Amino acid sequence: MEGLTALALAIALLGVGLWTLIVRRNLIWKLLGLNVASSGAILFLVALAHRPAARPPITGLGPGPSADPLPHALVLTAIVIDFATLALALVFVIVLTERRHTQDVRRLERDEEHGWPER
Amino acid sequence: MKPLAALTVLGLLVLLGLGASGLFPRPELPLPEHVAAAWGARNLVATIVLGARLWDTLFEILIYAMAIVGVKLGLRPVRWEGAGPPVAETPLLRRAADLLLGPVIVFALYVATSGHLGPGGGFPAGALLGTGLLLLLALAKGVERLSAEVHEPTLEWVKYGAIVAILALTGVVLVLGRKGSPYLIAANLLITVEVAIGAWVILHRFAKSRGEL
Repeated sequence: MEGLTALALAIALLGVGLWTLIVRRNLIWKLLGLNVASSGAILFLVALAHRPAARPPITGLGPGPSADPLPHALVLTAIVIDFATLALALVFVIVLTERRHTQDVRRLERDEEHGWPER
Repeated sequence: MKPLAALTVLGLLVLLGLGASGLFPRPELPLPEHVAAAWGARNLVATIVLGARLWDTLFEILIYAMAIVGVKLGLRPVRWEGAGPPVAETPLLRRAADLLLGPVIVFALYVATSGHLGPGGGFPAGALLGTGLLLLLALAKGVERLSAEVHEPTLEWVKYGAIVAILALTGVVLVLGRKGSPYLIAANLLITVEVAIGAWVILHRFAKSRGEL
């Protein structure tokens, strides 16, 4: 049952994140949505590792099946990479704001067509 | 060019189908418990991250280091006028930081060195150490004083040294085929140093350029 709840939560997080990523026009909101969606993906992988009545993937904790350790190892790397790439993307947004003075995607596209405003 | 690409994709699909069809016998995978016992560890995830899927971890460390270099280079041309808004300073925060500094370091070292026996490992320990140290020190001293006192290039050279040491260690282990808990502890500690300094550098850069957006 916990596995199903976690799966539902993961899919909901993924939906909210993708919705924010598509609908919001501010670049920082888009990055936040992307990060929420990736947390949903991470939760999905962890929920896949769940088995009914399983113990953590550490030997010596008693009998019974253990949770699948492979998704856990995958997720361990994904979290750290998420942190680093989010920081890099935020730096790009900072540089873009510094040069173009806006984070609005629609305004950026319009300026791309009609020429950049003088500042 | 297009037919070549189509041929490549088709070939890959055929390979996938052949692999999934069951025509070839699958290798018998050993039980994870036995693998962990051979490495002298109890945490199955640690044996996967530092043993069976070592290449993933190595390239992840390299990607992490490159992202940090990108943050550094990207924030370099940004010029801001004057100092940012000052960080609020209260004696309460400073005392709390003084009290928490020691326990955070000790707990991070504990998580790193016992990562092969229980929950933990190099990556969580590094995140604890880097973010905890930076947040506490920035609370206690203020970011400007902190960046005046800490020589960041030295920290970065330590980080590059840790990466080289990880590569050398894993190379030696891969060539010699030695398995054992000393290797796991050493690798976890080196990964802790690398991740902690990376998190420190990223957060420090962001804290220095606050109030920019």
